[in-house]
Amino acid sequence: MTPSFPIEFCVLFLGVVLLLADAFFPDMDKRKLAHIALVWLGGFLVATFFLRPALLWASPAGFYLADPLGIFFKQFALVATMLTLVLAIEYAPVVERAIPGSKPGAGLGEFFILPVFTCAGLMWMASAADFIMIFCALELVTISFYIQVAYLRKCPASLEAGTKFLILGALSTGFLVYGITWIYGLSGQTGLSAIAGAFAGIPAIPQSSQTALLFGLGLVLVALGFKVAAAPFQFWVPDVYHGAPTPVTAFLSVGSKAAGFVVLMRVLGPFLTVPEIETRVITVLQVLAGITLIYGNLAAMPQTNLKRLLGYSSIAHAGYLLMGVASVGSPLAGRAIVFYLVGYLLMTFLAFLILIPVAKAAGGDDIAHFNGLGRRSPGLALAMLLAMLSLAGLPFTVGFLGKFFIFEAAMQEQQYFLVAIGVVTVACGFYYYLKVVRAMYWQPVPVDAAPVEFSPLGRFAAAFLAALILIVGIFPKPILDILP
Amino acid sequence: MSLALFWIFAILTLLFAVGVVVFRSPVSSAMSLVMSFVGLAALFVTLDAFFIAVVQVLVYAGAVMVLFLFIIMLLDLRTEERRPVKLAAWAGGGIVLAGFLVAIARVISSLPGATNTKPEILPGLNDVAQVGVALFRNFNLPFQIIGVLLLVATIGVVVLSRRELK
Repeated sequence: MTPSFPIEFCVLFLGVVLLLADAFFPDMDKRKLAHIALVWLGGFLVATFFLRPALLWASPAGFYLADPLGIFFKQFALVATMLTLVLAIEYAPVVERAIPGSKPGAGLGEFFILPVFTCAGLMWMASAADFIMIFCALELVTISFYIQVAYLRKCPASLEAGTKFLILGALSTGFLVYGITWIYGLSGQTGLSAIAGAFAGIPAIPQSSQTALLFGLGLVLVALGFKVAAAPFQFWVPDVYHGAPTPVTAFLSVGSKAAGFVVLMRVLGPFLTVPEIETRVITVLQVLAGITLIYGNLAAMPQTNLKRLLGYSSIAHAGYLLMGVASVGSPLAGRAIVFYLVGYLLMTFLAFLILIPVAKAAGGDDIAHFNGLGRRSPGLALAMLLAMLSLAGLPFTVGFLGKFFIFEAAMQEQQYFLVAIGVVTVACGFYYYLKVVRAMYWQPVPVDAAPVEFSPLGRFAAAFLAALILIVGIFPKPILDILP
Repeated sequence: MSLALFWIFAILTLLFAVGVVVFRSPVSSAMSLVMSFVGLAALFVTLDAFFIAVVQVLVYAGAVMVLFLFIIMLLDLRTEERRPVKLAAWAGGGIVLAGFLVAIARVISSLPGATNTKPEILPGLNDVAQVGVALFRNFNLPFQIIGVLLLVATIGVVVLSRRELK
């Protein structure tokens, strides 16, 4: 009776084995754990390409859905986790300094192992087809993030970020559960396909309970809006992104957002089958997208700290993605959202990957610390330039195509007003992303600038990401074909 | 009879829940949380969910609250000081609260089933066995995930609270 879900349990098993290795070989170099995890996660990533949707076990209770979208986001989660581990290896010296340990390397093992568990949670979220399952997987991801955000115990900013994230996260979980109880109470179902069935009339939901259903869905939207960092639920973003260890910030902004959008699309599915509910839900999504776009882009403009700037930029990107969700009636929308998320993964991880060695050399992560990077280490500056141009949405980068596909879907759905907001805010985006470029190429090199050191693994990952940004930006077809 | 009991316990639960927020001494807040949990357990009893009611008392009103009180004692928390009233914060919070309450009231008034009484449960159902079957058979996968969640939470507690990591 007990089903076997190969991939997630493999990831889980890897996490447990690494934990045991960490406990039983205390004298081992902890970076080895991260390298082992990288190799195995890479193996699982290869394995996912051999999973055919039909071969996977589908639960009779409908908890677990292994459709192409789910499998694609499992791969997405694996890639994001591997990149996080690469970032974490770069970041290890900072962690060692910021946690009280009896010897060097103490407490570092868990820093590499926790992302593996988060990965399992993200993969379950990608396949969740039932509110109970969504809740459990989401909580697994969120709780592991609480720990990772507060990981730098000697650093007050990290602790503050952890506390804020914990309290606001718990609040949003409350909204999620309350919303789910309303939906369950009215439809008698927690499974998404069963809810869709209830809308289709087996067993019928009376017309009079539609207000209450919308209320429940609204509460769920609030919680998911928190997870994907959409305004007006974005208050936690700048502080948490700023205070968290940089690899965790990157993982949070990519993994949590992507999983949030997959869940959002899945949850909205059954509700969009009813025309009266659909029009109202789309209106709400349009409003959310509009506010998020304007807030994220305007608030990013005065930022001087790169992590905060990327935090606000993450809000802005949530706005473009929400615009895609609001155009979900168009057949292009699903693919546009997925493509955007892929591009977002590439450019965000590249930006954070460059930030780590630069911050290590300069002693801080302000934009001013990038001054003269173009002369100090041209390679890194070039990679950062690519990441920033792609985030801003310059043609021939993946960021441009992502926005282009989203706007195309929105045009097809006749959301001209949203597209207009989108175009204006893209222009704002150029201003604040190019601030970093200006610092790198037009500011003098500081006199006390330390040389920037970057490990070969980091160099390889940066070159790989930068190349992908360009290649996918020019030839998107291979990626578009893989996409569900 | 059961309707009267529902109202009594629902009002008690809510009153004590408000008390948790309003009381300035952390110990008083914790004690009102205990009472709120007991009221909730009584509500479960009126719904014939005896097992859940017992677990509610044992786990929440018992174990969890003892832990809460321990932490309050350990941290030696004093009574919160009165903060100056911020008008803008109160007004903002009040608007959100009022809007939320109005939304709930409208939703409930639009529901025809809100005044229904509870249907009789099938006779001869074993409460504990029901919970066990639901948890370990129908909801096995989410149950496993909760297990992973607890593992992660345990790691987190160790990592974040040990004085010196090894």
